[in-house]
Amino acid sequence: MDQRLEALLQTIQKVLPDVDGIIGLKVNAAGHIAPHLFRKEAPAELDGLAIWPKYPTPDTLRLIQKAHPGAKLGMVVRGCEERGVVEMFKHAQVDLSNISLIGLQCTREEAEFCRCAKPYTAHAKLTVGEPIEGVPDPVTEGFLAKTREERLEYWKEQLVRCIKCYGCRNVCPQCFCNVCALEDEKWVGTGWLPMPLPPMYHLVRSMHMTAKCVACRECEEVCPADIPMAIQYRLIAGDVKEMFGYETGVSMDEKPPQLLVLAEGEFERTGLPH
Amino acid sequence: MTNSFPDLEEAQVILITGSNTTEQHPIIATRLIKLQDKGAKIIVIDPRYTQIAQIADIYLRQKPGTDLAWFNGLMHVILRDNLANQDFIKERTEGFEELKAKVADYTPERVEEITGIPAEKLVEVAHLYAKAERSAIFYCMGITQHTTGVQHVWQCANLAMLTGHIGRPGTGVNPLRGQNNVQGACDMGGLPNVFPAYQPVTKDDAREKFQQAWGVEKLPAEVGMTIMEMMHGLENGKVKAMWVMGENPSLSDPDINHVNKALQAAEFLIVQDVFLSETAQLAHVVLPAASYAEKDGTFSNTERRVQRVRKAIEPLYGSKSDMEIICLVARKMGARGFDFETPQQVMAEINQLTPSYGGITYERLEELGALIWPCPNGEHPGTPFLHKDKFARGLGLFHAIDHQPPAEEPDEEYPFILTTGRIMFHYHTGTMTRRIEKLDREVPTCVIEINPADASRIGLNGKNKVRLQSRRGELIAEAKTTERVDPGVVFMPFHFVEAAANILTNPALDPVAKIPEYKVCAVRVELAE
Amino acid sequence: MEYKNVLTTCPFCGTGCGFFLQVLDGKIVGVLPDKKHPVSQGSLCVKGWNAHGFIYHEDRLKSPLIRRNGKLVEASWDEAIELVATRLGEIKAKHGPDSIALLASAKATNEENYLFQKFGRAVIGTNNIDHCARL
Ligand code: SF4
Ligand code: SF4
Ligand code: SF4
Repeated sequence: MDQRLEALLQTIQKVLPDVDGIIGLKVNAAGHIAPHLFRKEAPAELDGLAIWPKYPTPDTLRLIQKAHPGAKLGMVVRGCEERGVVEMFKHAQVDLSNISLIGLQCTREEAEFCRCAKPYTAHAKLTVGEPIEGVPDPVTEGFLAKTREERLEYWKEQLVRCIKCYGCRNVCPQCFCNVCALEDEKWVGTGWLPMPLPPMYHLVRSMHMTAKCVACRECEEVCPADIPMAIQYRLIAGDVKEMFGYETGVSMDEKPPQLLVLAEGEFERTGLPH
Repeated sequence: MTNSFPDLEEAQVILITGSNTTEQHPIIATRLIKLQDKGAKIIVIDPRYTQIAQIADIYLRQKPGTDLAWFNGLMHVILRDNLANQDFIKERTEGFEELKAKVADYTPERVEEITGIPAEKLVEVAHLYAKAERSAIFYCMGITQHTTGVQHVWQCANLAMLTGHIGRPGTGVNPLRGQNNVQGACDMGGLPNVFPAYQPVTKDDAREKFQQAWGVEKLPAEVGMTIMEMMHGLENGKVKAMWVMGENPSLSDPDINHVNKALQAAEFLIVQDVFLSETAQLAHVVLPAASYAEKDGTFSNTERRVQRVRKAIEPLYGSKSDMEIICLVARKMGARGFDFETPQQVMAEINQLTPSYGGITYERLEELGALIWPCPNGEHPGTPFLHKDKFARGLGLFHAIDHQPPAEEPDEEYPFILTTGRIMFHYHTGTMTRRIEKLDREVPTCVIEINPADASRIGLNGKNKVRLQSRRGELIAEAKTTERVDPGVVFMPFHFVEAAANILTNPALDPVAKIPEYKVCAVRVELAE
Repeated sequence: MEYKNVLTTCPFCGTGCGFFLQVLDGKIVGVLPDKKHPVSQGSLCVKGWNAHGFIYHEDRLKSPLIRRNGKLVEASWDEAIELVATRLGEIKAKHGPDSIALLASAKATNEENYLFQKFGRAVIGTNNIDHCARL
């Protein structure tokens, strides 16, 4: 057994007696993996404990907590998933007071797959694996190397492939609004493929990820057309950091800028290049 | 499909025709589109400028109902320019000379006249398809739903054999099947002429085999009725009773005014379904069926890939699975051989009697996830691509086919061609998808597509509705103007009861496959007030 | 408190994408694509993503219905099965097996289609079996 998996199993077994269940990943006989709630009543299920590919588990926590608000839970989190639950917590989507986070540090290979800048956890008390440095993001760098015209062409070429599956929204741990602007005809027209330009669906989603995106890249992974939309979210995250000094997932108490009320004059356009 | 997705990733040229792939088979479409990133070229030949047409490297628009001609044109060019695969033709096929003689007349110029496809474009496509090492053809209902549907399919095979683009990874003739388990329903003998695995009911040894296995003295030896013949039978009194399992012919069949009359004439109509479908409303007995989420089983996809359906919850609202219902009725009628508790037990019987499914057991599916038939025994890994070394009949037979017009062509009285199809957001007759709020809001009702030139001619200003009339019926629907369809052509999805396309469609059948001509009929289009 | 994911196959087209039905305390609460699925590779179209959306719909049939005096009225399973079996038997006896026709289903499972044609051929004794494959 993989060392990290073995260590994770031991940690889970340590935590399990004290909680109602632990959210992790489970694999079936044919190798299909999905989120699962491990419980002490069914210890044998831990034989199927898995770690990769990752899944949008912050949403699993939200689902379970909605039905069982007081439940005492454990949850295996990678860096992005930890950032996910932290931001969800700030937006009152989950309650972390009863949750024991078990941090799982990503390998270099995994981080490269995700082009992840922070493949490690920052809050979890228990952790498994050695944290590594972030890796570069060649896709975004390649995009930045393009001229303005080339960028426009690039997006046109990419977005005509969008089949409006809503997958990018559905998997996103930060897409939890009860009423979604993507389903508001005032913003995004219905029923026609390919969606016409300007790409309102994607513009609206980019906007709404401002100071929310935790860079888990689940949206890109789920995209049937392989549209590298996280480029946008990443660039916007850079702006947010520059303008407001805010980074998602870093601190438990710092409020994201959209939850602050700015006094007049506090907000200044920086005129960033993209 | 002759091939399956993993090997199709190796295709260099992908020819898609009669398939609005991004809307009908979205995840197949995106898999093909992504191959462009690896350098593959996509060619789309379709009367509608759909999303996949927009993404394609080359798009050709033919007039509806002229497909036989452009196929011949492609083959003409391939032979003219010495691009045919002579070794393959010699070793694996017969009937080549007839084909060669036939396509000789189909010069690109003549084909342009018939189809409207520019001659030089046709030549370009012929070269691209023939010269690539691995080219694959994909087609869907746009090819089959014609009175000449079977000939269209033969043309696909002709083209593939002429160039040797079959029997290898990344090649083949790949029909995209519409409903989720059409493949399985056919495999399992849900057809009037064959037992499971296409064993003909007319063959003595096949009948004997099933007689023995099922413990019955005598199975009927005559081919039964097709769905259209059943409808006629209901009307003329030959058919008295009909049992409909989860289908909705009241909306899905051509010329539904006629179909509804037929169903109403039934002395006894049984319908089992999840919802009270249009057909169920006419029934004498309605049996509530469990949904796919409430039962175990298997579906066979368009690749022949057999995959598990798993019960996530118990049957809701007192419904029962189709399996349980069939067994209950059979046992009540005193039949033996219907004491199944689980679908797994049924599959064990299928394994015994269906050679191509011989090795597809639940145990293996649990372990392997899926198996692609033919899979004759428990050791067999499945067959991702067919016709590797030889065709089912031995040598591949070329069919020489002339262009023929559709059964009904536009005329003064009915000047438009109506073509019908699916849209992304709905499935079949909409009994399920129209009840899903997130799909319904995308497309809540039928919208026909009409070219702006036609729209302004009839005085459509984008707001009002149109009346469509054919020789069989009429209806009123919303209209959207779009260059997606040519002047003289209107497109209409068939999912909607309030504007049921099949009031208009022509029940003329392909004489072999008995597929109705959904893709072409003549209609009149006017403003509705 | 129970949360599990049940792997199944999309019922909405011939592509055959795979997804998990998310089941929380015995109720289906959502769909999750299967990243390891050989066909769909972690993606779905909008229909697949919403494939759970009709399961609890209020229009679901809640009981067998039998037409009495022109109207469909609720009946028990026993009554309905009894009626189906009796009437099919009578019609077969009176008009012969070929006076009965069966429409199998491109939406039902292989096992169900197999049983249905077995029923038609072995119990009724007719080959009048077809489905909407051509549609
Ligand atoms: S936008 Fe994409 S990368 Fe950002 S949080 Fe959502 S799913 Fe993750
Ligand atoms: S996941 Fe991809 S295809 Fe689906 S809506 Fe998002 S961008 Fe479009
Ligand atoms: S998810 Fe979409 S493409 Fe995949 S099987 Fe379902 S309907 Fe077809």
